[in-house]
Amino acid sequence: MRRLRYIFILSLSALIATAQEDIFDLLDEETASTQYTYAAFKGTKLLNGQTNETPGKGVLQYIISHRFGSFTDEYLYNFFGLDNAHIRMQLDYGFTDRLNVGIGRSSVLKTSDAFVKYRALRQKSGANAFPFSITLYSAFNYRGARYTDGIDHYMSDRLSYHNQAVFARKFNENLSLILAPSIVHWNLVPGPEDPNDTYHLFIGGRYKLNNRIALTSEYAFSSNHSYGSGATEERFHNPLSVGVDIETGGHVFQFHLSNTRAMSDPLWMAQNPYSAANGSLFLGFNISRVFTVKQ
Amino acid sequence: MKNIILTALLLSSTFVSAQQYLTREARLDFDAGSPLEDIEAFTESGSAVYDANTGKIGVQVLMTSFQFKRALMQEHFNENYVESEKYPKASFKGTYNEGSVAGGLTIHGITKEITVPARLDQEEGNYVLVTSFDITLADYEVKIPSAVSNKISKTASIQVQATLKNTSR
Repeated sequence: MRRLRYIFILSLSALIATAQEDIFDLLDEETASTQYTYAAFKGTKLLNGQTNETPGKGVLQYIISHRFGSFTDEYLYNFFGLDNAHIRMQLDYGFTDRLNVGIGRSSVLKTSDAFVKYRALRQKSGANAFPFSITLYSAFNYRGARYTDGIDHYMSDRLSYHNQAVFARKFNENLSLILAPSIVHWNLVPGPEDPNDTYHLFIGGRYKLNNRIALTSEYAFSSNHSYGSGATEERFHNPLSVGVDIETGGHVFQFHLSNTRAMSDPLWMAQNPYSAANGSLFLGFNISRVFTVKQ
Repeated sequence: MKNIILTALLLSSTFVSAQQYLTREARLDFDAGSPLEDIEAFTESGSAVYDANTGKIGVQVLMTSFQFKRALMQEHFNENYVESEKYPKASFKGTYNEGSVAGGLTIHGITKEITVPARLDQEEGNYVLVTSFDITLADYEVKIPSAVSNKISKTASIQVQATLKNTSR
């Protein structure tokens, strides 16, 4: 009995001794901390659609976007469509690491737009892990182009609104995906039968090829594809884009091929008159530049 | 008699453990800037351990815990330079011996043996570790693209400041 106790105590003290052996184990015994997932996407926009990302606090961002002419429209005569470029400029600012506010102007229908974007929930690992990010996005759009229907329109006729919840998950270092349901409201629709509210589901993703280059793609489903009827019927198509992100320091270059030409929300997503099946494809790019104005 | 020896043995082993010192709030600063660009970051959540009996000393830090003045720089640091997703931690594991520490420094998944001057002073029952040294980024295969090579220093200076408390208290 005594011998047993002797062995027991000896082995216990040996155990304590070996436990001390590697003091470096203490380094790893960290109380699990919360790690926010960073850089699910390189840009605040994927191609036309929004990502979950916002610029950091005190960061001013300028995005210039071009969409060139169609492949079907005298393509070589128009120098690969470059002669028919449409443009959008965006200026936005990160008031906090979560809140982003911006304005934009696009030559398609001479629209002006403004948006608010807020990172409500962020993907995180470790303690209090959460599997995805939710970013809320709300934009309104003012059509500046004159109406040609001869009717004296109210100013409010020109407004449309886009509200979106962006669910994003960075699956691993390379793959990130977005699922974003939207509600779009049009103050003016062509006919009394046409819905003022349309619903959309945006899907998109990126796959990183290396630290600076990523492939991107996006698509959006829509609840409504036509307005009006008969001779005045307007048909709209779901937007599809594929592109590549190239990041160099403070710039992100996004080159892409798309069947949509408008750049301001919600026109590109909800009222896209072009169909890739008819050969209406456009080259385009976004270039963003960030300036840290407040540290 | 045997019992007394055993008790002494056990006591001595608890006594040994009482010589371990630890902190989870080590401050680390690094500077890889150039005259063209300030590249500085710090963290106050590094871990450090010291065993006063064996002289073993270790420091470890999560790369994502480094805070930069600019959010984009922090993102690039983690995503493009140190690749925090693949190599989340940097660590030093070695021994302290009269004014210097020697051991393996692991950054970006690569371990190099270094010997650098360090101070380890006893203050009010705690150990205060202070060290400052330079590393060459190329040694740890941190790649700097040629387009920004004049903005980023080839070497980074690292400072460590930690107050290690006795683990038995």
